[in-house]
Amino acid sequence: MSIQGMILLAVFAAVLAVFGFILRMLVRTLKLGKPEARSGDTAKRIRSILVQVAAQARVLSQPAGLGHFVIFWGFIFVTLGTIEHMAGMIVPGFSYESLFGHAAAGWISLLQDLLGILVLVAILVSLFRRFALKPLRLRIDDPAARREAVLILSLIFVLIVLMLCIKSIGVLEGRIDGRYAPVSRFVSGLFVGRGLDLHLAESVLAWIHHLIIFFFLLYIPFSKHIHILGAIPNIYLRNLGPMGKLDRMDFGDENAEKFGNSVITDFTWKQLLDLYGCTECGRCQAACPAYLTEKPLSPFRMIHRMRHHLMRERGKLLAGGTESDDAAIIPDTMTEEEIWACTTCGACMNECPPFIEHVQKIIDLRRYLVMTESRFPAELQPVFRNMEVNYNPWSIGYASRAEWAEGLDVPAASQKTEFDVLFWVGCAGSFDARAQSVSRAMIALLSKAGVDFAVLGVEEKCCGETARRLGNEYLAQMLIDANIETLGKYRFGKIVTACPHCFNTFRVEYPQFGYQAQVMHHSEYLLQLVREGKLAAGPVPSTAGAYHDSCYLGRYNDILSEPRELLRRMGVEKQAEFARHEKRSFCCGAGGGRMWMEETIGRRINEERVGEFLALGVDNVFTACPYCMTMFEDGLKAREAGGVRVRDIAEVLLEAVGGGDN
Amino acid sequence: MKIIVLLKRVPDTEAKILINQEGTGIREDGVKFVINPHDEYGIEEGLKLREKLADGSKVTVVCAGPEEATEAIRTALAMGADDAVHVCDPKLADPNPFTVSEVLAKAIQAEGFDVIFCGKQAIDDDLAQVQSILAEKLDIPQVNNATAFEMAADCRSAKLSRRIEGGDEKIETSMPAIISCDKGLNEPRYASLPGIMKAKKKEIRKKSLADLGIAEVPGTGRSRVLKWLPLPKGGECRIVAAEETVDAVRELARLLREEAKVI
Repeated sequence: MSIQGMILLAVFAAVLAVFGFILRMLVRTLKLGKPEARSGDTAKRIRSILVQVAAQARVLSQPAGLGHFVIFWGFIFVTLGTIEHMAGMIVPGFSYESLFGHAAAGWISLLQDLLGILVLVAILVSLFRRFALKPLRLRIDDPAARREAVLILSLIFVLIVLMLCIKSIGVLEGRIDGRYAPVSRFVSGLFVGRGLDLHLAESVLAWIHHLIIFFFLLYIPFSKHIHILGAIPNIYLRNLGPMGKLDRMDFGDENAEKFGNSVITDFTWKQLLDLYGCTECGRCQAACPAYLTEKPLSPFRMIHRMRHHLMRERGKLLAGGTESDDAAIIPDTMTEEEIWACTTCGACMNECPPFIEHVQKIIDLRRYLVMTESRFPAELQPVFRNMEVNYNPWSIGYASRAEWAEGLDVPAASQKTEFDVLFWVGCAGSFDARAQSVSRAMIALLSKAGVDFAVLGVEEKCCGETARRLGNEYLAQMLIDANIETLGKYRFGKIVTACPHCFNTFRVEYPQFGYQAQVMHHSEYLLQLVREGKLAAGPVPSTAGAYHDSCYLGRYNDILSEPRELLRRMGVEKQAEFARHEKRSFCCGAGGGRMWMEETIGRRINEERVGEFLALGVDNVFTACPYCMTMFEDGLKAREAGGVRVRDIAEVLLEAVGGGDN
Repeated sequence: MKIIVLLKRVPDTEAKILINQEGTGIREDGVKFVINPHDEYGIEEGLKLREKLADGSKVTVVCAGPEEATEAIRTALAMGADDAVHVCDPKLADPNPFTVSEVLAKAIQAEGFDVIFCGKQAIDDDLAQVQSILAEKLDIPQVNNATAFEMAADCRSAKLSRRIEGGDEKIETSMPAIISCDKGLNEPRYASLPGIMKAKKKEIRKKSLADLGIAEVPGTGRSRVLKWLPLPKGGECRIVAAEETVDAVRELARLLREEAKVI
């Protein structure tokens, strides 16, 4: 071994030792978090790695992701070259050629050259985006975030240039086959005829290159590039179940003094791993309805600040210290305004390449504020009270729950005990004047199709969704338990509801409480009735419109084609699509309990969405959610867009089957 | 300091009130009961005073009412009250304000008190008598419909505001006193979950009339409710519609003059 080789080996060993120490610290930091089970489904998880890491599917869902794809793969091949070169310095004579043969080594070399050039281009484009284009998604109020990004990009640029220079010397010295290194061969022209000591030049360049690599290794864990370490395990351990399913809290401990999260160690280890996984690409904030309407919340900044908070606090925590009050997440990292601004629409989670789960974190913080501190926007107090006393978020007595059905022939579950469909009316369908018309349309359609159905009437209570998303898990569970008891009294085939919030709660969250039932949203069920010929949908005259995807129906539950097919079968003449639609639909602004809160900061989310609708030039908004309907009605009024009708798909279908406009 | 807060269990503000067939009361099936909303201002003021004093003062809920009132008492305990006295006796089935005041006075005297907060009236019968009779029985000053309350540093007097027609009235009273609370005095808190959990273990001292040394139901015969009658059914609602708003207004005016004869 040469002296250089020995020095390199010593430095390498030292760097590796420090890196190992850092890794151990990172793992110990994760263990500060609360337990959470994330295992099983190994095959699916490996598939995730192939699709999301190797093929970078989500990264590539936006054009700028191509740059990351190139840098990712380029860096892997460059690193192969680095390993080869370092090994060659330590073990004289080591090379891929001697190991894998001429052709294989040639291919590695060729890919290094070609990807190298592509990486240089990608970095220049990246820097151009950051400095000239300044896209919304990269905006953050922490200058350190940008410095980190630029430093890393510049270092990678330098590494690639050094690699090409080192290889070009290899070509000149005949160690590398120039046919497999076209770029290096081209670069080698720079070194010819300058009287350089090629051997010395190579040594100097290689040392610079390797030292940068070592620096890189030690710098990564302290920068946003920690995602190189965090993203892959985060993707492997991602939530494979339904999106946005909240964890169930246990209220068994009557001596508990605290509920929900207020300090960093209240989060689970997986939630902390999320912080390592963040690439700071900012796609979440570019999709966030709160951020896009000038509210203080940005999911990007939330994760960024939480990571910095963790980095600040971990030294003390790992030394066995505890978090002091001023080390609380609120308001150090998240202000209450930010926490309440979230509509839980899930757009952030739908975009996130390393599959960070933002919404649960916000709900965890809300849980602390509501249940432990009893601190929340004043307008929520009557909402909570009324859900406790009258089982609905509207300020209406529970005995009035069935009044919407007066004068209609609506069979009550209590008089049937066994039936095929339980039509779950929901609070909106029971109390909101506009949504009541959808309930009545549903009754007309179910009757017309000859469905054996019933409703619970005053026995029905709020499904608990609003309370749950507002962080009042205790109240939510009281409602859930009461409903499960009521539902248990009856024998029926399935629950059908016109509310995506009830739908998601029954389908995804009630099983957490031991209740399983077949649950269908009315868009699915009505389509089924039409397909089976039980409802003959004639064409609806002059109806050009656009269907607005409800977050909890489309993004959360993948029900995208059913309402559209239903509208098509009704002969809706023109179905326009919102610019943001299906999985990338834009929230109406009412989710996550926002329906019940004032919206005083920034522009109004529903008006933003109405603006998007008005650009389409059609005069019908088709909805499949009572909240979306309210938000559109209000938004259209605010924009003074007369002549536009907001209609639930059930109302349109009733017209299509000749039931008239109710 | 011993802070007493009075509590009555009343039907929820959103409940549909129906008179029972005998006309002796309301139908309780389908009616949810809550803490009298005005009493909540009293509870909150008591809790705020205790927090301000921070000297080991105690807030005790005193309630005279049926067994079912326990739920409302627990809610007050969840908000933060320390303990409660619940006078619950079959003999109190149909009490008049004099009866209730006499019973409460005995219970409060047994507890001891430095200040008493209560709602300005109960939203069910709207009688607003208990605080005055109680003041008389306990021989202490009363200030009604308080919208601001500030205890003096020596706790021997307090300054209050009352909302009156066109302005505020500033009052000073010696302590102990009974303060009836109005909307605007404070924003009653929402019980936190640790508060709810702790409330399950807090003491509610159940008392019968005998426990309070009351042999005869006091105030019997002073006044009693003869009969409860439902409201006469209102007339049909008509919507006057016309192409032009002006025409609708004209038609409405004509109907009010010629048919309803009110203008």
